[in-house]
Amino acid sequence: MKFIIDRFDGKKNYQQTYTVEKKDIEALTLLGTLLFIKQHLDLTLNFTASCRMAICGACGVRVNGHSYLACDTKMTELFEEYKDADTFRISPLSNYTVISDLAVDWEPAIENLRKVKPGLVAKDKFSEKEGCVQNQEEYDRIVGQWDCILCGVCASECNKLSADRSDYMEPFVYTHAWKVANDSRTKDPMIHVKPSVANGLWNCVHCHECTNRCPKHISAADDIAGLRALAMKKGLNSGVGPAHAKSFYTDLVEDSGRLNEIRLALRTEGVSTVLRAGTAVTLMSAGKMNPLEIFGGHEIEGHKDLVKMIEAAHAAHKE
Amino acid sequence: MQNEFAFFPGCVLTQAAIEAKMSLEAIAPVLGIKLKEINGWSCCGASQAQDVDPLATLVANARNLALAEKMNLPMLTTCSTCLLMLRRAKAQLDSGEKERINTFLAKGNMSYKGTSEVTSLLWVLAQNAELIKSKVQKPLSNLKVAVFYGCHSVRPGKDLGFESSVNPTSFETVIAALGAQVVPFTKRLDCCGFHAVYPAEKSVMKMTSGIVNSAAESKADCLVTPCPLCQMQIDIYQDDAQATTKSKARVPVLHLAQIVGLALGIPAKKLGLDYNVIDASKLG
Ligand code: SF4
Ligand code: SF4
Ligand code: FES
Repeated sequence: MKFIIDRFDGKKNYQQTYTVEKKDIEALTLLGTLLFIKQHLDLTLNFTASCRMAICGACGVRVNGHSYLACDTKMTELFEEYKDADTFRISPLSNYTVISDLAVDWEPAIENLRKVKPGLVAKDKFSEKEGCVQNQEEYDRIVGQWDCILCGVCASECNKLSADRSDYMEPFVYTHAWKVANDSRTKDPMIHVKPSVANGLWNCVHCHECTNRCPKHISAADDIAGLRALAMKKGLNSGVGPAHAKSFYTDLVEDSGRLNEIRLALRTEGVSTVLRAGTAVTLMSAGKMNPLEIFGGHEIEGHKDLVKMIEAAHAAHKE
Repeated sequence: MQNEFAFFPGCVLTQAAIEAKMSLEAIAPVLGIKLKEINGWSCCGASQAQDVDPLATLVANARNLALAEKMNLPMLTTCSTCLLMLRRAKAQLDSGEKERINTFLAKGNMSYKGTSEVTSLLWVLAQNAELIKSKVQKPLSNLKVAVFYGCHSVRPGKDLGFESSVNPTSFETVIAALGAQVVPFTKRLDCCGFHAVYPAEKSVMKMTSGIVNSAAESKADCLVTPCPLCQMQIDIYQDDAQATTKSKARVPVLHLAQIVGLALGIPAKKLGLDYNVIDASKLG
């Protein structure tokens, strides 16, 4: 079988095909296969790995365009996923600058991580003598995110980063911000939320690639949603992103119970944009929307009960 | 075959994507599918409301699920984002949240039990590909199709779970059953950007344009998507998106039910093809 590997020698990109016997690699991990190729076929092939046990986060690569942690992926799993394919394409993580073959530059991502102050800034009441304890429930809340091994798989998959890196950060950066912001020992969550908002929090496109591929089952997309909710709760709610999200909520709870697309455009962008060439105008001219909808749709059957249910949830949450 | 469903149209089908509803209503009786719209369904939150209030969003969807349970039917939706929101809510309820949320649903004399599954038009069609094949009146053998899954019909795999999220095949199975030709299309699992069109407009236009250009390069006659939100994004915003990247490529974008309807021999008008923004009339 064949492995087509994307290579980069510092100057030019090229592909190299390696042929191996299936029996030699089928019992191995993806990392084992890369090591096999390096040991037996090409000593010049470069990739990074260290712990070989899904802890160090160094061995992320892409197979057929999707990212995997190489040491944590069995070849048999890939055979199953790709229906016994006999050729695999191996590439470096996407959305990183390649240094050599499958090895990528982590420095810009780490710079972004620094922006959200990923270290815990503990409450003043904690002291060396008293310690800095939290109860089981508080610990359970954040333990999943502590599992992040900075492998970069989520960042490699991120559709927003691929479209434009200049106004966005790696998904795991938001996960680390969420983690410290939601730690019961944290002095002030806004230390982490504010730089997240300032660095693209509202620009996530909800593609769920990060959630889908994370080897530690962390959902950066959910952490982004969590940080947004926290930001709004703390009054950081100006701008198009919060206005857009809020209009869905308003329609659901305060208005008819269903989304009103004409009002959505208005609430999100304001009258001027709609008059220019908003979605609503496009929709109306395509005959897809009744302009009278602006006065609101009919309230759904049982909406008053829905509101009561939500109010009860809010009341219980406050207790 | 399970052929009766509690139908969850989602907000988009009742408004901006009325042609998706028209085409669905046109194909369902031909395929023997009965769709009973759920009375009083609410917005699923559209992958937005949870940014404001995750608890209220969960409560609203628990109520939606409970409404379907009252009908004793599995729930079907054509919108991938509704599918994801409902399935995620169900997973959350089934893994420990049921009791807590039921205390809130009780305020409206309702309760969630967990008896109704949530499925999508795409999945039901894929499960019944042979039946579809037997109903084809006008095989689409001359049509080259770029199948665009979009995000929420496959990701996250653990919440959707119908098939592999990196190598799905349901859509290709359905299109092949219609006799059409599926072209290789590198962007088939990409994101169209719909959910961030307001806050991240520049990026989103680039993403939308990339999909159209990739389909055009594959010589596709049309793009097809199971998700009405993807259809809306790639169709309504196509001209804007292509202007931002200075691309001349234009590709019509069909809803899944529209292409099925064409193969079943249903007239273009009944499928709402004239509501599509990028001219799709030649396909009818
Ligand atoms: S969130 Fe998951 S995928 Fe992303 S860096 Fe951390 S462990 Fe890797
Ligand atoms: S959901 Fe958001 S953070 Fe995750 S991969 Fe998509 S754009 Fe990136
Ligand atoms: S080698 Fe350490 S995570 Fe794979």
